[in-house]
Amino acid sequence: MVISHALGARIKRREDPRLITGRAIYVDDLNFAGMVHVAIVRSPHAHATIRSIDTTAARRAPGVVAVWTGEDVKARCGPLPVGPRIKEMKAPKRFPLVIDGVVRHVGDPVAAVVATTMDAARDASDLVEVDYEPLPSVQDPEAALEPGAPILHQDLGTNVCFRMTYGGGNVEEAFAGADVVVKTRIVQQRLIPAAMETRGVVAQYKGGELTVWTSTQIPHVVKTTLAETVRLPEHEIHVIAPEVGGGFGSKLDVYGEEGLVAALALALGRPVKWIESRRENFIATIHGRGQIDYVELAAHHDGTVAGLRVRAIADLGAYSQLLTPGVPTNTGLMCCGCYRIPNAHAEVIGVFTNRTPTDAYRGAGRPEATFLIERAMDLLAAELKMDPVEVRRKNFIPPAAFPYKTPTGAVYDSGNYERALDKALERADYRALRDEQAKLRKQGRYLGIGIATYVEITGLGAVAGLSGGNWESATVRVEPTGKVTVLTGTSPHGQGEETTFAQIVSDRLGVPVEDVVVLHGDTRAVPHGVGTFGSRTTPVGGSAVYVAAEKVKDKAVQIAAHLLEAAPADISTDGARFTVRGSPERSVEFKDVARMAYKAYKLPAGMEPGLDVTHFFVPKERVFPFGTHLCVVEVDPDTGEVTFRRYIAVDDCGNILNPLLVAGQIHGGIVQGLAQAIYEGVTYDDEGQLLTGTFAEYVVPQATDVPAFELDHTVTPSPHNPLGAKGVGEAGTIGATPAVVNAILDALAPFGVKDLQMPITPRRVWEALEGNSASR
Amino acid sequence: MHVLLPRTLEEALEMKASAPPAVPIAGGTDLMVELNFDRTRPQAIMEISRLPELNVWRRENGTFSLGAGVPYSRIVRDLTEFRPLVEASRTVGSPQIRNRGTVGGNLGTSSPAGDALPVLAAYDAEVVLAKAGGKIRRLPFAQFMTGPKKNALAPDELILGTRWKVVRGPGSFSKIGTRNAMVIALASLCLVLDEDGRSVRVALGSVGPTILRAPDAESFAARAMETAGVWRDPFGPLPTRVIEEFGERVAAAAKPIDDVRGTAAYRRHACAVLAQRALRWALDDRKLTGAR
Ligand SMILES: Cc1cc2nc3c(=O)[nH]c(=O)nc-3n(C[C@H](O)[C@H](O)[C@H](O)COP(=O)(O)OP(=O)(O)OC[C@H]3O[C@@H](n4cnc5c(N)ncnc54)[C@H](O)[C@@H]3O)c2cc1C
Repeated sequence: MVISHALGARIKRREDPRLITGRAIYVDDLNFAGMVHVAIVRSPHAHATIRSIDTTAARRAPGVVAVWTGEDVKARCGPLPVGPRIKEMKAPKRFPLVIDGVVRHVGDPVAAVVATTMDAARDASDLVEVDYEPLPSVQDPEAALEPGAPILHQDLGTNVCFRMTYGGGNVEEAFAGADVVVKTRIVQQRLIPAAMETRGVVAQYKGGELTVWTSTQIPHVVKTTLAETVRLPEHEIHVIAPEVGGGFGSKLDVYGEEGLVAALALALGRPVKWIESRRENFIATIHGRGQIDYVELAAHHDGTVAGLRVRAIADLGAYSQLLTPGVPTNTGLMCCGCYRIPNAHAEVIGVFTNRTPTDAYRGAGRPEATFLIERAMDLLAAELKMDPVEVRRKNFIPPAAFPYKTPTGAVYDSGNYERALDKALERADYRALRDEQAKLRKQGRYLGIGIATYVEITGLGAVAGLSGGNWESATVRVEPTGKVTVLTGTSPHGQGEETTFAQIVSDRLGVPVEDVVVLHGDTRAVPHGVGTFGSRTTPVGGSAVYVAAEKVKDKAVQIAAHLLEAAPADISTDGARFTVRGSPERSVEFKDVARMAYKAYKLPAGMEPGLDVTHFFVPKERVFPFGTHLCVVEVDPDTGEVTFRRYIAVDDCGNILNPLLVAGQIHGGIVQGLAQAIYEGVTYDDEGQLLTGTFAEYVVPQATDVPAFELDHTVTPSPHNPLGAKGVGEAGTIGATPAVVNAILDALAPFGVKDLQMPITPRRVWEALEGNSASR
Repeated sequence: MHVLLPRTLEEALEMKASAPPAVPIAGGTDLMVELNFDRTRPQAIMEISRLPELNVWRRENGTFSLGAGVPYSRIVRDLTEFRPLVEASRTVGSPQIRNRGTVGGNLGTSSPAGDALPVLAAYDAEVVLAKAGGKIRRLPFAQFMTGPKKNALAPDELILGTRWKVVRGPGSFSKIGTRNAMVIALASLCLVLDEDGRSVRVALGSVGPTILRAPDAESFAARAMETAGVWRDPFGPLPTRVIEEFGERVAAAAKPIDDVRGTAAYRRHACAVLAQRALRWALDDRKLTGAR
C-alpha cells in the first residue's frame, strides 16, 4: 500500500466540532410526544429469593402507566444472548428482568416502573415492595470453587461456567530441567468501565416497525438478538446507535434493558425511554477484569525461558453476558507474550460469583496476559540479577520466525519486538536513567524504571455464535454528483473512523476528504455489520472500505474507458479526472463518470448501472500489534505516593492511517492502563455490597494525575489486510499497566518488595514499606 | 419545592425566622449533590449566593472577616496574604466547584474532610452567626463544629462569615488524597506559626469526627523552638529529632477510622508526615523572610 497525501495524514477529527460544541445527539437527547419513562427496581441483595413483590402502591402513584415484574417479562420476552459457544460451557439463561425468583447480584433487575416523567417513575419505583429472603452469597471466585460454596444457578449445579486449557510442549519436563522457577499470584482487580455517557435506550413501535435507539457498540447484533427477545421478525426491527459517549467494551453487549424497553414500547404503544443513572452504571453495566492468575515461569541460568504455567480463575460475576467467557480465554491464548516459550500450559476457569457480571473491557483478556508474563519476566530478571531488558531480549521471538505459532495456539503475523524495545530505550536514554536511579538511591530517593514489551491480538471478528465469522461490511457509494457516501458495519463511538475511513476512500478514489461522508450505527442505512470492539474497526472494517473503494475505482475506470473509447488498461487517473495515457486531451472528470454511471445510457455492454459497491471483508488471519512501554516513576517512601517522571511508548500498529488519531488512542489507552495500576479498583464487602459505589470512592485519574506522553512508533505492516494495519484501540491500556507496576516495584526493590496488589495506592506502598528499611 | 429569593440579608433572616425549614443554598456544590442523590427533600430552599452582605471581606483592628459567600476562586485570586487559606481553597474540587463553592457552605456542611476547616481551626477563627432582629452570635470554631456534619447553627440562623485575628508568620495547608485533584482528603493538615505569640498551631482534617487540634504537639514544638533559640534566630538549628517527635505527637492527636479510601493506620502515619513537612517548610520560610 502506498501512503498518499490522504492516508497517513494528520487530519483533525471531523467528528469533533459537533462533539465539542454540544451539537451531538445522544440517546438522552431524544424526546417524542407521549413518551414514557422507565425506572428499574434493582436488588439490594447479592443473593436472595424473592418471596413476593407488591406493586399496588407503585401503580397508584401519580403518573404511573405500568409496572412490570418478572411475570410480565416471562409472558412477553425470550432470553438474551449468553456468550460464545465454548465447549461444555454452562451458561444460565438471562432475561430483561429476573424471572425465576432469585436475584444474584446487587443491581439485578427485579421490576420496571413506567411513568409519564422520569422523576415520577423513580419516585414510584421506591414504592415497589419486594420481600426478599437473603441467601448465602459468594464473592470470591476461589471461594466459589470450594465444595459447599453457595451455588448461584441451581439448575447448573456448579459455579463453574467453563474450563479451557491452552498449551503445548512438555511443561513438566521443562520445569524439572530448569535452573530457576519464579512464581507469583496476581489479582486483576475488577474495574468499572465508566464511559462518560451511561447507557440509555429509547424504543418506539410505529407503522409496523420497532425502532430502538441504544447506546451500543454493536447495533446490528442488537437487532438480530432483539428479534428473539421481543419476538418480532428481524426485518421489522430498526436499531440506531446515535452518538455514543464511550464504551470501552461496556456497550459491547446486549443488555436486558434493550429488550425490556423494546417490549414495553410494543406493549404500551408509546415511545419508551430508559436512561441509566451513574449509580446503576456502577452495578448494572458490566465490570472489567476480575481475574486471579497463578503464574510459574521456569528458566535457565542464562535467562532463557524454558516453560510457563498459568492457572487463571476468572470472576465472571452472576451471569454470562454476550462475550464474558471470551475475555479470560484471551488470557490463555496470549500468555506467552513476545517470547519464544517452547513449553506452556494455561488453564482458564470461569466462575460465577454474586457480583455484577464481567465482560470485555478495553483489552479484554490481553492486559491480563501481558501483565502476567511481563511481571514474571521482571521477577525472573530479579531472581537472576539480570537487567529486565536483557531477559526480554534473550527470549524475544526473532523477526525471522514470523509467522510464529505459540504453544497456546496463536499465530502471530509479523513483528520486530527488539526494534520497538531499542527505540524506547534510546528515547529514554536507559543507561543514563539507571545511573540517575543509582545516584538518587544514595540520597534516599527512589526512582523506578518499568518496562513492558507487549504483543496483543486484534482484528477479531465476530462474536462467535452470534453473527458468525470474522468479517465486516462496507458500502462505498459514489453519488451521481461525484460526492461519496460510505456505510460501515462498524460502530465507531469516539475512535474517529468518520475521519480515517474518509481518508481511505480519498486515497483510493482521489476525491477530497471533504467529499466523503461516513455513516454508521443505523441498521436501516447500513446493510449489515458486526460492530466496534477488539481494535478491529480499522484492520477489518477499514479493509472492507478499502476493498469496496478499489472495486468502485475499477468500475469507474471501465466506464471512463468506455466514454473515452479506450481500453481500461490505458486509463490513468489522479482521482479528479480519468485520462487516456499518452493523450492528455482525451479525459473525463470523475464527477462526469459518476453521473454517467447512473444515467446508464452509455455503459459498457452488460454493465449494471450505478457506482455503488458493498464488500464484506474477511481477513485471512488475526493481527498482532506490539510495542514497548517504558515508565519512570518516583516513589515517596514517607507517604507511599507515586509520581510519574516520564512515560515513553513505542507502539507498532502496522501502517498508520492518521498519526493524530493513533496518538489519541494511545493517550487514552495509557491513562486507562495506569489507572488500573495505581488508581482504580472495585471493592465489595463480604455481603456483596459495592463499596466503591460513586466516583468519590472509585478514583478515576484526571488530567493532573497523568504524565506527559512521549510517543513513537515502529511500522511493521500486517500481511493479512490491504491496509497493513493492526489496530491500536487497546494497545495503550495493555502496555501501560505492567509498565507502571514494574516501575513501582523497581523503585521499591531496595526494600525487598516484590509484589503489590493493584491499585497500588499510597497506603499499600506504605504498608509494604512499614518494617522494611532500604538496604542500599 | 419552594424557592425563596431574598434580596438582602435582612430579608433572608426574616424568611429564616418565619420558615425555619428553608434550607439556604450558596454555591450549591454540597446541597445539590444531596438533592440529586435524594438524600434530602427540603420543602423550601433559599438562594443566598447573591446576598451582597455575604460577599465581602473586611479588615479592622488586626482582625479579618471573611463573608460566608465568597467563593474559593476569589480567595485564591485576591487573598494571597493568607497562604494556608489560599492553598486549601486551591485544592477544593475543580475550577467549576471553586467558582461556586464557598467557605460558608464548607462550614454549613461541616464535613471533617472540608478543606477550609483545618485552616479556620488553626487560625483560631470565630464563626459569626446572625438571626432576624440583628442578633449576632460569635462561636469559636471548635464550638461551632460539633461532629461529622454537625454544627451549632440554629434553624433560624444564617452563617454571616468567619473572623480571625491576623497573625504574623508562615503557614501552610497540605493534604493527602487518592489522586492529585478533586479528591476527598485522606488526611489534611494546616500549620500556622504565630511569631508574636511564639506559638505553633496545628489542625487536622479527615482524621476524626471533627477538625482536631494537636495541643500537645503545638506546645512541644513551641517550647523546642524556644530552647533551640529558633524564634529569635531563624537560622538556628532545630534538631531533626524534634521535628520527628512533633510529627509523632501530631499523629497521636488524630482519631482516624478505616474506610474504603484508607486505613486508620495510614491516615495516622500521613498526619505525622504532613506535620513534619509543614514544620520544615515553615522553618525554611522563616529563613527566607527572617522571621518577619
Ligand atoms: C465535584 C465536587 C468536588 C468537591 N471537592 C471538594 C474539596 O476538594 N474539598 C472540599 O472541602 N469540598 C469539596 N466539595 C464540597 C463543596 O464544594 C464544599 O464543601 C463547598 O465549600 C460548599 O460550598 P457551597 O457554597 O457550594 O455550599 P452549598 O452546597 O450551597 O451549601 C452547603 C451547606 O451549607 C449550608 N449553607 C451554605 N451557606 C450557608 C450560610 N451562609 N448560612 C447557613 N448555612 C449555609 C447549606 O444550607 C448546605 O447545608 C466538592 C464538591 C463537589 C460537588
